[in-house]
Amino acid sequence: MSTDLATETARTAPQARTGMSRRTIGNVVLGVVLLTVPLWLPLVGGYTDLASRVLIYALAAMGLNLLLGFTGGLSFGHAAYFGLGAYGVGLMLKYETHSLFLALGVGTLVGGLAATLLGPIAVRRRGIYFSMITIAIGQMFYFIAIRWNTLTGGYDGLSGFARPKFAGPGHLLSMGPTGMYYLVLAAFAIAALLLWIVLNAPLGHAFVAIRENHKRLTFLGVSTQRYIAISFAISGFIAALAGGLNALLDGFASPNLLNYSMSGDFLIIAVLGGMRNFYGPLAGAVIFVLVRDYVSSVTDNWMSVIGLVFVVSVIFFPMGVLGFFNRKSGS
Amino acid sequence: MTNQSALIDRRSILKAGAAAGIAGLLATPEPTWAASEKPIKIGMVDPITSIFAAMGHSEIKGAKFAEEEINKKGGIMSRPLQLIVEDGAGNPGTSIDKAKRLVAREKIDFLMGTVNSASSLALSQFANQHNMLFLCTGGHVDALTGTNCNWNTFRTCSTTWMLTAGDFETLFDKFGKSWYFITTDYAFGHAEQADYEKQLKRHGGTMAGSALAPVGTTDFSSYLIEVKAKKPKVLCLLLAGDDQVNCMKQIAQFGIDKEIAVAGALIELEQLQALPENARYGWWTAEWYWKQPNTPHLADFVKAYRAKYKGEYPSARSWFGYASTYAIKLAVERAKSLETMKVVRGMEGLVLPPEVALQPNAPMYRAADHQLMLSMFPGHVLKGAQYPDLFDVSSIIPGEKLALSPAAAGCKMTYPS
Repeated sequence: MSTDLATETARTAPQARTGMSRRTIGNVVLGVVLLTVPLWLPLVGGYTDLASRVLIYALAAMGLNLLLGFTGGLSFGHAAYFGLGAYGVGLMLKYETHSLFLALGVGTLVGGLAATLLGPIAVRRRGIYFSMITIAIGQMFYFIAIRWNTLTGGYDGLSGFARPKFAGPGHLLSMGPTGMYYLVLAAFAIAALLLWIVLNAPLGHAFVAIRENHKRLTFLGVSTQRYIAISFAISGFIAALAGGLNALLDGFASPNLLNYSMSGDFLIIAVLGGMRNFYGPLAGAVIFVLVRDYVSSVTDNWMSVIGLVFVVSVIFFPMGVLGFFNRKSGS
Repeated sequence: MTNQSALIDRRSILKAGAAAGIAGLLATPEPTWAASEKPIKIGMVDPITSIFAAMGHSEIKGAKFAEEEINKKGGIMSRPLQLIVEDGAGNPGTSIDKAKRLVAREKIDFLMGTVNSASSLALSQFANQHNMLFLCTGGHVDALTGTNCNWNTFRTCSTTWMLTAGDFETLFDKFGKSWYFITTDYAFGHAEQADYEKQLKRHGGTMAGSALAPVGTTDFSSYLIEVKAKKPKVLCLLLAGDDQVNCMKQIAQFGIDKEIAVAGALIELEQLQALPENARYGWWTAEWYWKQPNTPHLADFVKAYRAKYKGEYPSARSWFGYASTYAIKLAVERAKSLETMKVVRGMEGLVLPPEVALQPNAPMYRAADHQLMLSMFPGHVLKGAQYPDLFDVSSIIPGEKLALSPAAAGCKMTYPS
């Protein structure tokens, strides 16, 4: 499988250079589709909050994918940073402030800093040991949230905060589903742009090089641990931002947001959509959230359907849905 | 890289195992109504999975039974009633997700559920933000109709205070002063223990100790070893759902029920049914029981319910689902409207008629805190008994004798202007 991946990257890399105009068109189309969601989504039987949820999960999975798909580190603990972002926002709104951006900023900072500080511990090991450490760290936060009743509300979750109004220049805008969607979309666009810049900078090339041949970089004298830690930190910040937005969307933070099963969901989203692909997690999130939403109204065993979709996609398109289509159009 | 793909493959194998069970699980939604009338929709979020599943299923069965009965008798204001059920998994986050979908996609008129206290609190807040009536079927935490009461939230099941007040004095007089608590670590358990402690202090009892067990605990041995060492007079179990079942089994294995009186606030028929015969013991409070001599309409209800559900007996949970669905119907008919505020006013002071109440007293949704004044059924588990006759009700106490006044419960009801 690893040779398969190597040829895949080798083949798509030159395409990325020559296909600039195609990429621009793709981005514009995606932008228009996302900007007009509140107009067309109700027509096809959806609702705006569902689109917000898709973007939030996509954002978290894209953050995770910087580490997973581009740096080659399989983290099973990103829900912890997602959840910390959510609790950060919830606690700020409940006790400290009514400012949307201050709360979101603090939430992102809390989750991101946790990833920055704890990443270096995990990156000391590679492969399965790395994954085990990330699970352990993630579960630690989960149990803190479950047991620290006075601060986090324990199993009951953190409630009692509402989405504040948007303090625009000169006036307050109330944040209904549509307002919330555009906030999420703006955050998604900014984070995607930052990720894009990082991936095309020398830093991003270093990440990919580590993924492709970790040993060789070590021989060349590159401090790979430091680079993986940087990737871990950036992806943690993005997961925390997504978590904060999730708390705003729900007006509620649950300890389950920190659980490793949530990390598993993000991994499924990234792998399902295509972890070598920049927008793979977005495609994965669309599939995951829609299947969850529609199938769970029909049967309680919706996780089985997700599992089935996942197994089928791993067997038949190991590069994810977007990877599959890219390959088709390439050949 | 190789490590990673190996790990992903292993995950997919695990997932494959889960996926293997999928065939035949896709159920078709019910029901059908002959008229072309637009249905009145009640969204019900209740656990179908998780440790609360057994209770959730009973509430849903009760509600569906009521739905069928109401539609047979001409619906609500000659419109059909449609009950749409979603699985909240006994978890507040999931419950809110499901409620969100019910509001956005199904355009429900009313929301009801759920077995789990934490989910009920979360849904109450959610409904408040969406200006919707929420009728809590089975979450007992005091705060829901106490310090956190909302103008749009009503509750059919009892408060934890009513549960603990129902049997405290009996237990205290019968077994002794020193108590040990094993308590489930969420809103429901915290509230129950606080209520018992308050009464224990008032009567001059002592706390031998207490332990908080996380939801979903399967191994209680570390707590039980401490109980054996502390030798309290009463071991008070304040657990929920299957946790209580697991703990009672382990207590029987340790032989603690032979040395120490085991008691607690709430027992459910579902739990007793799930226990092996040697692990059925203790003094508890039930909130409704299928066997009440001389209660009108009860025998017919039990008979019809058993006919629909293959001989299964209705539990307190079934009755919560049944009574809650009827309460919404009655409130809508009283209000002659579906507008949230008018229906809220219709439900305030609503007295359940005997054919819905199915108990000797006439329970009413108290206007000041929206709490139903249902009766409590303290008693003890019968030794060596067979399902369904597992519990001996020692008395049926009217709810208003046990409940705190709305002021003492801390409810200050405010309405939107």
